Amino acid sequence: MGELKQIRFCGFGGQGVVLAGTILGYAAIKDGKWVSGSNSYGAQARGGSARSEVVISDDPIKFPHVIESDILVALSQSAYDVYIKNVAEKGALVIYDDLMVQPSHLRGVQQIGVPATNTAIHELESKQVANMVMLGASVAITRIVNRQALISSVIENVAERFRDVNVKALEVGYKLGEDHCCPE
Amino acid sequence: MTRRKIDSTLSPGFYYFSGNEAVAEGAIAAGCRYYAGYPITPSSETMERISIRFKDVDGVFIQMEDEIASICSVIGAVWAGAKAMTVTSGPGFSLMQEGIGYAALTETPLVIVDIQRAGPGTGQATRVASGDLMQAKWGSHGDYQTIALSPWSVQEMYDQTIDAFNLAEKYRVPVFLMGEEAIGHLRERMEVKPTVDIFDRAKKPGAPPFGTNQDDGIPPMPAFGEGERLLVTGSTHNEFGIRKTDDPEVHANLVTRINNKILKHRESIIKTEPYYLDDAEIIVVAYGFTARSSLFAVDRLRKEGKKVGLLRLKTIWPFADGIIHQIGRVAKKLFVPEMNRGQVRGEIMKYVACEVIPYNQTNGDIIHPHEIMKQVRSLL
Repeated sequence: MGELKQIRFCGFGGQGVVLAGTILGYAAIKDGKWVSGSNSYGAQARGGSARSEVVISDDPIKFPHVIESDILVALSQSAYDVYIKNVAEKGALVIYDDLMVQPSHLRGVQQIGVPATNTAIHELESKQVANMVMLGASVAITRIVNRQALISSVIENVAERFRDVNVKALEVGYKLGEDHCCPE
Repeated sequence: MTRRKIDSTLSPGFYYFSGNEAVAEGAIAAGCRYYAGYPITPSSETMERISIRFKDVDGVFIQMEDEIASICSVIGAVWAGAKAMTVTSGPGFSLMQEGIGYAALTETPLVIVDIQRAGPGTGQATRVASGDLMQAKWGSHGDYQTIALSPWSVQEMYDQTIDAFNLAEKYRVPVFLMGEEAIGHLRERMEVKPTVDIFDRAKKPGAPPFGTNQDDGIPPMPAFGEGERLLVTGSTHNEFGIRKTDDPEVHANLVTRINNKILKHRESIIKTEPYYLDDAEIIVVAYGFTARSSLFAVDRLRKEGKKVGLLRLKTIWPFADGIIHQIGRVAKKLFVPEMNRGQVRGEIMKYVACEVIPYNQTNGDIIHPHEIMKQVRSLL
């Protein structure tokens, strides 16, 4: 059996966690993996706490939802508070937006803060692309998909008029992830 | 009926579609070129994608005023020669039942996709259920047979939509793809192969389009505009479509034939998938999304050395009575988890003598693998 990773993005509805999950899932397909993805839907996705789940595996996936996340990416405090209770017992990694989330102290869980919203506002002049900064950083930290697959996934999934800023955000995020921390 | 191999409408390769998008692509691949529908959560993404993609294949898309008009429009298009589909969810499926009965009696091949949501009534539009299975069997009045499929993945939303069109064409019958919200909105890797096997309705100029008194098979089907005299009526009719509303023999023969043409071919229509059945003492019988949870659960329980198996139903109607009867003879107990109040469990009980344990969940959520593991452990 190959590796199976369960990733959950969470945040406020409107922060773009669904798009981040979809882009990651599509990138994993480009990498030759099996992927299942599911999102919050309806009213949940428009305010409140939104989530996007991606299961990536070397083999066909039996159960397509996240049972417990190996990687949790949190963009808001309320979503963090909900989903931190559901991370894997062993080896879970939490990546959070350091402006939006005050992490709680947890034993055995590695938690990494990324200045995604801060960078989006000050460096990219668009708060909307914090999700792409976060996605880029998360992929740099976890190497869950190939960098090039991720970039082409953004190019194929984002409307043309937003493409450049999203790709830039992803690359800035990737750099942040590489600089910030790289656990081996 | 003729069979042919055609090139796929999408480039071969891997895609990351939602189940609802996969239905649209499956329909296009199968040759569907007419769509009439009314949008409804949680199925609307199919309609949206069809409305965009039909431009590439010269299809005709129309948003009707409601689901009654949608099914009637689809029936009309099929008799004009098209392969046609409509997609809906429970409340729309309810409205379509009159048209479905008409399609069954007129032997109109068409595909209806029902992305099931929590009912009855308007229920919970964004939440999952599989409560429409008996409606797919008994929704319209009178005695008729249909075919209902139950996909468990995005790949099968694509593959079974193609199958649905092929079965409809083969047997001249309405075919239902009984999807569920959780599959409609799931995104997964989906493979498009280079070619697709397609079946087309049989043509035999001059032959009666509604069978004969003797025949138990599937009559050829002309279309309007092909030069034949063609009458299509929802009243009882003879082999040429002429109304016979007071003739007991014609009615009995017609009703018997439209039932038998499915029942006599049941062995080639029914599809199931066995997992770990050989020495299983408890067999989980599941379908749709719940079969994904069940496979995960059964796999885990096997790793613990528990003698548990899974029979997955890929088709719901006609019912897989033969294999259910067989597993009922070898297993100690059957366990049937369902996102309804036991619709398939009741059907299973007609064919087995062993205990059939239900697990019914109607809270608008999927049945979690851990719940299945817990329940099955308590039976061991």
